[in-house]
Amino acid sequence: MRKLFALLLFLAATLSHGYAQVKTVIGTVKDSQSLIALPGVTISKPDGTGSQTDAAGRFSIEASPTDSLTFRFIGYTPQTVTVGDQEALDIFLISEDQALEEVVVIGYGTQRKADLTGSIGSVKAEEITKQPAMSAMQSVQGKVAGLNIVASEAPGAAPNVIIRGLGTALGGRNPLYIVDGMPVADINNINPADIESMDVLKDASSASIYGLRAANGVVIITTKKGKAGFFNINYESYAGMKSILNQVKMANGNQYAEYVNQHLSSIEHLTAPEDRYKISLTGQPYETDWYDEILKTGSVFNNSVNLSGGSENIDYFLSFNNFTENGIIDGSKFTRNTIRNNNTYKFLDNRLRFNQTLNLTFTDNNIKPNNGFNVAYRQAPIVPVWWENGRAGRPLLNGETGLIDYQGGNVKVLNSTGNPVYEILRHNEIQKSTTLQGGFEGEFKITDYLKINSRVGATKYYVRSRNFNDIKDGWLNGDPTRTDAEFERLRSDNPESATYAYNRLGIQQEETFRWVWENFLTFQKSFDKHNVEATLGMSREKFGVGNRIEGVGYDVPEKEQYWSINLANSAASSSYPKSINHRIFTPRTLASYFGRAQYNYDSRYYLTATIRRDGSSAFRQSGEYWGTFPSFGVGWTISNERFMENVSWVNMLKIRGNWGMLGNQDIPINISQIITSPGTDLNAGTNNNNYVLGPNQELVYGASFGTPAIPLTWEKTQETGIGLDFGFLNNNLSGSIDYYHKLNTNTILDVTPTYNSPYLQNFYAHGAKVLNQGIEAIVNWNKTVNDDLNYTVGVNYAYNKNEVTEVTPAYDRATGGSLGNGQITKQLRLGQPIYGWWMWETEGVWQNEQEIEENAKTGAPLPGHLRYKDQNGDGEIDNRDKIFFGSYIPTSTYGVNVGINYKAFDFSIYGYGVAGNKIYNALKGTRIEGGENIAEDTFNNRWTGEESTNVHPGAARDAYASSYYLESGNYFRINNITLGYTFDKLYSNSSKLRIYFSAQNPFMFTKYSGFSPEIATQDGAPSGTTGIELSAYPTTRNFLFGLNLQF
Amino acid sequence: MNIKKLNIALLLAAGVLGQSCTEDFLDVPSQEIIEAEDSNEVFEPEALVNGVYGMFTDWNYGFAYLGITEILSDNADKGSAPTDPGTDKDILDALTYTPTTASFQSTWEHWYKSIGRATQSIEYTENYGLPDETLKKRLIAEARFIRALNYFFLVRGWGDVPIQEIDLLERKPTSEVYAYIEADLQFAIDNLPLKSAYPAKDLGRATKGAAQGLLSKVYLYQKKWQEAVGMAQAVLNSGEYSLEPDYATIWRASTENGRESLFEFQGRGAELAHGIQQYSQTQGARGESGWGWGFNTPTQNLVDAFDAEGDEIRKDATIIFRGETLYDGRVISQAVENPRYNEKAYSSANAGAGDTDKNIRYLRLGEIYLILAEAANETGNSNLALENLNIVRDRVDLPAVTTTDQSQLRQLIWKERRLELAFEHDRWFDLVRTGQAKSAMEANSKRFQDRNNLFPIPDAQLVQTPEMTQNPGW
Repeated sequence: MRKLFALLLFLAATLSHGYAQVKTVIGTVKDSQSLIALPGVTISKPDGTGSQTDAAGRFSIEASPTDSLTFRFIGYTPQTVTVGDQEALDIFLISEDQALEEVVVIGYGTQRKADLTGSIGSVKAEEITKQPAMSAMQSVQGKVAGLNIVASEAPGAAPNVIIRGLGTALGGRNPLYIVDGMPVADINNINPADIESMDVLKDASSASIYGLRAANGVVIITTKKGKAGFFNINYESYAGMKSILNQVKMANGNQYAEYVNQHLSSIEHLTAPEDRYKISLTGQPYETDWYDEILKTGSVFNNSVNLSGGSENIDYFLSFNNFTENGIIDGSKFTRNTIRNNNTYKFLDNRLRFNQTLNLTFTDNNIKPNNGFNVAYRQAPIVPVWWENGRAGRPLLNGETGLIDYQGGNVKVLNSTGNPVYEILRHNEIQKSTTLQGGFEGEFKITDYLKINSRVGATKYYVRSRNFNDIKDGWLNGDPTRTDAEFERLRSDNPESATYAYNRLGIQQEETFRWVWENFLTFQKSFDKHNVEATLGMSREKFGVGNRIEGVGYDVPEKEQYWSINLANSAASSSYPKSINHRIFTPRTLASYFGRAQYNYDSRYYLTATIRRDGSSAFRQSGEYWGTFPSFGVGWTISNERFMENVSWVNMLKIRGNWGMLGNQDIPINISQIITSPGTDLNAGTNNNNYVLGPNQELVYGASFGTPAIPLTWEKTQETGIGLDFGFLNNNLSGSIDYYHKLNTNTILDVTPTYNSPYLQNFYAHGAKVLNQGIEAIVNWNKTVNDDLNYTVGVNYAYNKNEVTEVTPAYDRATGGSLGNGQITKQLRLGQPIYGWWMWETEGVWQNEQEIEENAKTGAPLPGHLRYKDQNGDGEIDNRDKIFFGSYIPTSTYGVNVGINYKAFDFSIYGYGVAGNKIYNALKGTRIEGGENIAEDTFNNRWTGEESTNVHPGAARDAYASSYYLESGNYFRINNITLGYTFDKLYSNSSKLRIYFSAQNPFMFTKYSGFSPEIATQDGAPSGTTGIELSAYPTTRNFLFGLNLQF
Repeated sequence: MNIKKLNIALLLAAGVLGQSCTEDFLDVPSQEIIEAEDSNEVFEPEALVNGVYGMFTDWNYGFAYLGITEILSDNADKGSAPTDPGTDKDILDALTYTPTTASFQSTWEHWYKSIGRATQSIEYTENYGLPDETLKKRLIAEARFIRALNYFFLVRGWGDVPIQEIDLLERKPTSEVYAYIEADLQFAIDNLPLKSAYPAKDLGRATKGAAQGLLSKVYLYQKKWQEAVGMAQAVLNSGEYSLEPDYATIWRASTENGRESLFEFQGRGAELAHGIQQYSQTQGARGESGWGWGFNTPTQNLVDAFDAEGDEIRKDATIIFRGETLYDGRVISQAVENPRYNEKAYSSANAGAGDTDKNIRYLRLGEIYLILAEAANETGNSNLALENLNIVRDRVDLPAVTTTDQSQLRQLIWKERRLELAFEHDRWFDLVRTGQAKSAMEANSKRFQDRNNLFPIPDAQLVQTPEMTQNPGW
């Protein structure tokens, strides 16, 4: 590192002290955007002498290579260039309008931020790279009010993103991502450092230009492009360590033994005398901290380099990035390589432009099961990782001595939990993907005020994965006494049973393709103080084109190089069928026409109207393909009124109002169908369609009618919002406040048919209204104290109330949130947040037999078990006593940031918090057998006898879901602290080196007793395990060191 | 000039926008699932009938079914770890279940869905236009047999139940439901081939004998003694069936669809496996040295019943004891968690796999002898009763019963049913049918109330259809 730096200084020195000979430098000066030549630009040398450009923008000046020339022109940002050995210079000046006015991307165009009538949150490149992560979405957590991001720290995992509350129960919860104009499924394939800006269209009037799929908001990503007149090389690198942030302290061997002994005594009367035993509190031969065993310090390495520049005809941007993360579970590793090339070709004095983007992404993921966290929580600390004979440790106890031992007599089993170390070790799964994404766009300015754009974009995605299971090794390690010979005997006795195959190889390959084609006209003209802009266009899109192949074979050779289905059945004794499944996806097509008109008078009164007509193949069953989505926005910039001229402390004051209708078509295939299980062993068991017949019980394929589909149409969301933007005290204090009322008027539900009706499969029906109402507020204080010091303090806050305001009675009370052990925890119900918590309310702890005898109960509780409240007073405890307990969805999310720049130092802190939600601690709550380990807290707080506590259950406890395990999900976390130092002007004015140190997630403040209250799940489905900590990947604490070098 | 350019642009735009065919573009047919309207082109009726059989492989038979047929009764304990509720097996075992108990809801739903599939396949077969009339009738008869089998579960469990094809809300009286079952079975008897008349590849389909056997049991439940005798004799006289000589092999892979078998739910354990979902796993020995979850374990009470009769053969064939060595050489480790497991659910080849080769013996000749014995005794023909009862006892080396006292003999036949059919998912229904439930439960210190004679209608059903009435006491 230091060597590199020294080398750079040396380079800078040599370059700036070249030969000092005076020569004539000629060149032109042009506007960087329009490429129109600029006459009358002043050119000055450090000694005060200078020149001017002529009518064609040309200049000629005497200068020595060490001279720096400064180009100045009214309305443009001055630019200084060192002459060096150049003899001709082409200078492109940037208009101050562009430089000063923040511009946001609004879909089929851009707009000055000051002219918006909607609510758009923008994040610039620096903000994203300040919180390095695999996905840029993770980097913007806490930076945009109303954007609820549930991050996942698992290597390669993407966060769950919700904009302005959850309005839909089915698929299509994710926002729509638009990358350089192209709709894409996610942005995991994009190097965050390639992103120029991210604009989040939160309100209906902004998003409705994407009416099609905008109901969950739109995230527009613009990637970096070269700029005419510049040439940059950027090198960014960081490396860091990751460790678990909030590790739960588990009970040690002694505490465990004491706890389990208490449990065993409490159930002694249920146990046959010969089954009774105690764990010895002394002399245990092993003590294992399972988390220590499965976790290690993870690491992350990121290197990216980009070249960018431009000239009169071509702007270019080329980047390469390698991101490598070694997860905190031993053996998990994720690598991503991306290459991006964005070029712009300009013709006819920039009236004709072509933009081309191309991004290649390769990922390589060694996946380890998250279930390891769950297993490590439960396995007893007195169990060894490995027995002396090399086999995986198992919870086997010598019933006579009470010591862990599998060889002694009277072996007892403490629990049915696996060995986490062995489970992680033997899990052998690799997933590799390739993504090709690109677009090509032509833009032609027909006149000064009218242009036409046409673009195509496409994404091709390939993923293949491989899963190897060493069956024999797993069998042998299931019990230390099992022998090779025994396995071979079972194998030869049951030659057809794959239970005794040596190994199993599963492969999957999938490819998908999507394309989009769009054409639009843009009209822009000012008539006196009337400014008009109008856009009219069409688009066609097709996605989900693809297929998936899955194959399974047994007994491949041991060496990894031979792991293919063709080489299966390598052992002489193996003759297992090889199987293959092949599925072709049904693609989805979308067709749209859209128009938008924007008008403002004197930058004071604003009016925006958008209309979009969309068709989706999702609604084939009804033939009602089309939906129309209008929206309106108005704005009044009060600060631009004459009467405000004298109010000097108000720089900016604007009120906005908008209304719009948005659509969601992202529902599963909805057609009346015949259900089959056409696959082979991988899903022959699903849907119960197949059967076996004949003396050899051959598989016969069957079929059944699916529930007839109900014709569906667009989910329509109506949103009304008002907002206020302000800038006071020389814009030192700025911010905005927004209120919205977002009603999904016909939410599509996944409905269970009447239980005694003929059809089994759930069907889709419009059946509910879901309302999200909220407030978003942003306040920033920005102050430049002097040339050396400036600072900024910002706070953003969002409140959202989610409520199901109407449900078709027959569809009400659908349940969800399965814990995987027969317990459910959520219910969809009128008047509550979507899939709110639903379970028994704990009402203390049973203190004695008499109390149990006299009160309502379920099953046969023991003293020390939790007592549940008989809500309906019928003397029994069952589902009808379950009540609502709030939601996993936070009502409040907030972010704070502080940034200080002092001389060459920069320092920043970002914090993020959520409040108003509840998290279910299923790690603690789903013990089944009593012989699993517990957290130290659980040990310390337990009920130990009558009157000891009326809150916490004893060592004997049931496994029912109840409010006891529901905890506040509030947390506040410092997401990032960064301290950086910049070495400026290394060899030219624009070259610099910044080095920084970052702590990600250094602190978290929460009362939650599990690992992390921030739980992202695979698909974020509200009816699934979202908000339940069971096998979730915990939050990690990362320390990064990085540098950013710009030539 | 500019105006001209504008015109060109607008024309261009109009051309692009007006490019129609969008309806064609949006009309994307399904490529992964077959659309119902294409069913005739793709599926022959047999596939739809196979789909009805497929319901026998459902997970409900692997778990909930155990709860409401055996764990409820005096034959089985919940098993597993004492603190593991097994969804609701603890409260089923303790007889403290309520209308929201999950196993009732899932079996109720599953049996109605099976009926739905059967009816759909019947309609499909009728309308398909099969050229072969015999095949058409056979397929319809298979579906009607399975529909009857499912209604028989419902009527035994819940009493008055809606007949799906008539009305979803109105609970028809038990007698009407039985009449409906009888009609289906009579059609099956008239149209199904004998077991031996099927081609080998169809072994496992419903047969005439299966329909006759089931009908004799349906008559038994209705106390139509004479008809029950007649049907049972029809099975015996068909010459299609005989007892397995060795009782111990009845539930092993070697006797599947064998000489004693009237009807079985089929499972395949070998690749490509398709078994009755997790049936062997849920009942397999628990613990890392075992192979399953350890539910539905034989009670001490059942062991005592075998011992009281000196019935070693059936005891050993029914129960896996911890520490024993099984017939296939498997040593049951001392480290398994429960002292006893259900041997009839044990798969030698596939042990604890989710899909095993285990066939559930739904109806076998052994039971037909006992139905005949019981019905004959009720008609006063004790000789016929004794003859058939003793055939069953003789196989397991128990001495012949000789009493001709009707009520004494009745008790002996009921006891024989328990020992012969333990863990064959008959015990709870048998206890309720014979009125022994209260005393049997009390003998196991469980409180049996009148309401326990019928299962509660699932609360979730009543939420959907509030018009439907609940069973008394629930």
